[in-house]
Amino acid sequence: MSQRQDEVLQSYLDNLLAEAPLTQPAEQPRPVSVLEAAEIDADEARKAQLQRLLQSARLRVEQIAEAEPEPGVTAVPVAEELPTDLAALYQLLQWHDNGRPLWAQQKFEALLFKVSGLTLAVPLIALGQIQPLTDELTPLFGQADWFMGLQPSSAGKIYVLNTARFVMPERYDPQFEQSARYVVSINGVPWGLAVDKVEQPITLSPEDVKWRSTRTQRPWLAGTVKAHMCALLDIPRMGKLLLDSDRNSKGINNQTRERV
Amino acid sequence: MATQADKDKSKAGDDAILQWVTFHLDGETYGVNVMQVQEVLRYTEIAAVPGAPGYVLGIINLRGNVVTVIDTRHRFGLTPGEVNDNTRIVIIETDKHVIGILVDSVAEVVYLRASEIETAPNVGNEESAKFIQGVCHKNDELLILIDLNKLLTHEEWTELEDI
Repeated sequence: MSQRQDEVLQSYLDNLLAEAPLTQPAEQPRPVSVLEAAEIDADEARKAQLQRLLQSARLRVEQIAEAEPEPGVTAVPVAEELPTDLAALYQLLQWHDNGRPLWAQQKFEALLFKVSGLTLAVPLIALGQIQPLTDELTPLFGQADWFMGLQPSSAGKIYVLNTARFVMPERYDPQFEQSARYVVSINGVPWGLAVDKVEQPITLSPEDVKWRSTRTQRPWLAGTVKAHMCALLDIPRMGKLLLDSDRNSKGINNQTRERV
Repeated sequence: MATQADKDKSKAGDDAILQWVTFHLDGETYGVNVMQVQEVLRYTEIAAVPGAPGYVLGIINLRGNVVTVIDTRHRFGLTPGEVNDNTRIVIIETDKHVIGILVDSVAEVVYLRASEIETAPNVGNEESAKFIQGVCHKNDELLILIDLNKLLTHEEWTELEDI
């Protein structure tokens, strides 16, 4: 990475951490091992670990969807006819009065991935599958510039989001369209995030994140993971935004609904 | 009261098999309703028309008739392409209008059931997205199905008639 790119990246992170305390934390963060060389498809053990974590996250989603709303939380009205995955996603949109989302009231698993030189963290709780971006990715004309195309998968078509252009359009590098290797799908919606590289999953405590208090702008940005200096995406919110942006979806996946 | 045979026939009608002429454009495969395709021509010299809209390449003489040829790449917002031996002009008829659309190459006729056609996303503000009728995953590729009835507005058809 060039010096200029370093400066741009640092500026972006500085903006995210504008209110963070200047003093160093009392304890240094535990060194995190990063599998720099191994691609995910070459590391079966790590892939198996990710799949286990994704499965446990899905179970957690079901528990949240079935739980009664807690005091201090405004329940999100969910139409009964919504598919289970989508209904669960809608429940995950809630933020508590303590300034944290429903899915981060206790320790939670998150996945780190690289997007055009930037590290992003995503809570596992709303993730679906991780699969390679293939040459079957089909662009559609007339769509927003952050829409990369449709990719067929065993679970149906995935609408692939150009994550780099969506998250930081002001610093977008077209090279991302060649470097993106994987698509990380969001549970409940037919959307997935294109990423360059998937790194290791991490366990975060709510205190490990500087949560955003106002989310009027960039509502899909939940906060910043302090130890990793990376942005934490509010994936349920992002999934809802993408779903609502599709004029042909009417807020729900009509095809899924038909199958139900 | 409807018999089982009537119900089966009705069900078959609801999932009719339609034929689509497929063509390539900028690396992707598109399909149009075969009933709207009159013929496919090899590329021939297209006479430019001064003052024509940007999506119009010009006109050709088709057995004594003047046919306007549309720049399909331009219409779909795609990057301009080069003409080569595979380039074709597909003559289509829609709402009693006959035009030609320039494509990179013509592939084959495919048979699709209505149930196989899925809705395509519509995100963004580009008007061209309305041309997409749906998508279909067939033979390991994704077909983008075009609604020719929406290719031009009523006003644009009127404009073309004055060319």
